[in-house]
Amino acid sequence: MSDPNEKPKGGLIRRLWDGFWSPVAAFSVGFIAIGGFLGGVLFWGAFNWSMELTNTEEFCTGCHTMETNLGEYRETIHYNNHSGVRAICSDCHVPHEWQHKVKAKIIAVKDVYHEIVGTISTPEKYEEHRLAMASLVWKKMKASDSRECRNCHNFEYMDFTIQETRAASEHQRAIDENMTCIDCHQGIAHALPPDYLEEYKRVTDELQANASPESQKTDDVAAVRSYLGNLSN
Amino acid sequence: MLGILDLLGTIGGNVLSLPGILGLALGMMTRNWIVAAILGGLVGVFETVVFAGFRFTDIGSFDLAIAVLVGVLAGSLGCAIRHKGATA
Ligand code: HEC
Ligand code: HEC
Ligand code: HEC
Ligand code: HEC
Repeated sequence: MSDPNEKPKGGLIRRLWDGFWSPVAAFSVGFIAIGGFLGGVLFWGAFNWSMELTNTEEFCTGCHTMETNLGEYRETIHYNNHSGVRAICSDCHVPHEWQHKVKAKIIAVKDVYHEIVGTISTPEKYEEHRLAMASLVWKKMKASDSRECRNCHNFEYMDFTIQETRAASEHQRAIDENMTCIDCHQGIAHALPPDYLEEYKRVTDELQANASPESQKTDDVAAVRSYLGNLSN
Repeated sequence: MLGILDLLGTIGGNVLSLPGILGLALGMMTRNWIVAAILGGLVGVFETVVFAGFRFTDIGSFDLAIAVLVGVLAGSLGCAIRHKGATA
């Protein structure tokens, strides 16, 4: 332990560092613990709050490059419908689960970079780049089994008897074959580029090829998973 | 491009959730480096399994590896804090 009469030595950083690690005599353990706890709560609250701020529609569309999507989305059922319940940008594009959310936010740093260099600064550039961006989104949704859609929609609670026949039969097929929402519902909120089907196929094939052999979802695995899913419900 | 961001994002997500935080806390509870690293690694395994909903087919080896790595590092850092900042 350091001698309190000893002259502090070294530069400012060195002294702060030493001070930080020296034992305290003036405070009780309880005082330090309560202080640390309060500091932690305040920090975490502020952190979470600012993270939520970046989930608002105003934030996303604060970048004018995102306005193309905003316009297209405003024409769709997720913006305007008979019940008034809607899905905003972050509902479909930002996961709820903490670790996935942090990851999405870190990846979104590239948005800021592209905004600065102007990758999609004009409508022409946007259209040129749309397929590449859409393909990124598909890749994420395919990999997550359309997790974000499933935060609101769930096959379990769909009443197939009141759905259109085509929807009901396709959804039954989707359950049987373990398909995911984005497999059929591309362009649910935005305009689609002309050659989107080929690109979507490329994305899914690539994911399939990259999946490690044991995690590849073969029909058998699909059947077992549906079976287990039924057991746990 | 997305590869690196994907990696950084996964690491960040782990540092700010169970492996990083609980790993650090558990590491601070022991002076034994090995125990600290193992505890951290276990949190990584635990988190991956729990968040995949105990469906083992859903566990990606990449996610698991990152979670365990972050857990081990956090546990070791916690242990270092214990050595540096406590006399017992
Ligand atoms: C700093 C300005 C800015 C903000 C704020 C912003 N974006 Fe973007 N976004 C961009 C730019 C620029 C691109 C093109 C990046 C690229 O080419 O990968 C982009 C690409 C995207 C893409 C397609 C590529 C991908 O990464 O999946 C999605 C989806 C997206 N943004 C959603 C959102 C959402 C949701 C929000 C709000 C949470 C948001 N953006 C906020 C500028 C922004
Ligand atoms: C925030 C919740 C929410 C999320 C997330 C969400 N939806 Fe929706 N969805 C709704 C609501 C609300 C409606 C409109 C229901 C109504 O009033 O008929 C709707 C309607 C739909 C419809 C019906 C369209 C029509 O023309 O009748 C489809 C298809 C759909 N969603 C697919 C998706 C897909 C695919 C995703 C994921 C990319 C998704 N939804 C994500 C809430 C959500
Ligand atoms: C095999 C293809 C397929 C898959 C996979 C699929 N759908 Fe659909 N879905 C359709 C078709 C076809 C329709 C009817 C046409 C339309 O509205 O676009 C439909 C309609 C809907 C509707 C409107 C139903 C109504 O009666 O208003 C909703 C909501 C919907 N789908 C949500 C989802 C969600 C959520 C998922 C993923 C959990 C999903 N779908 C997966 C093919 C599919
Ligand atoms: C109902 C879910 C949903 C909502 C709400 C939604 N998106 Fe999307 N978004 C998608 C899907 C699905 C794609 C993948 C491309 C496709 O299928 O159209 C996508 C693609 C994109 C892309 C890639 C380029 C493109 O046009 O395909 C951008 C950028 C984007 N979204 C931004 C936004 C912004 C900004 C908002 C809010 C104003 C928003 N999205 C709201 C589902 C949604």
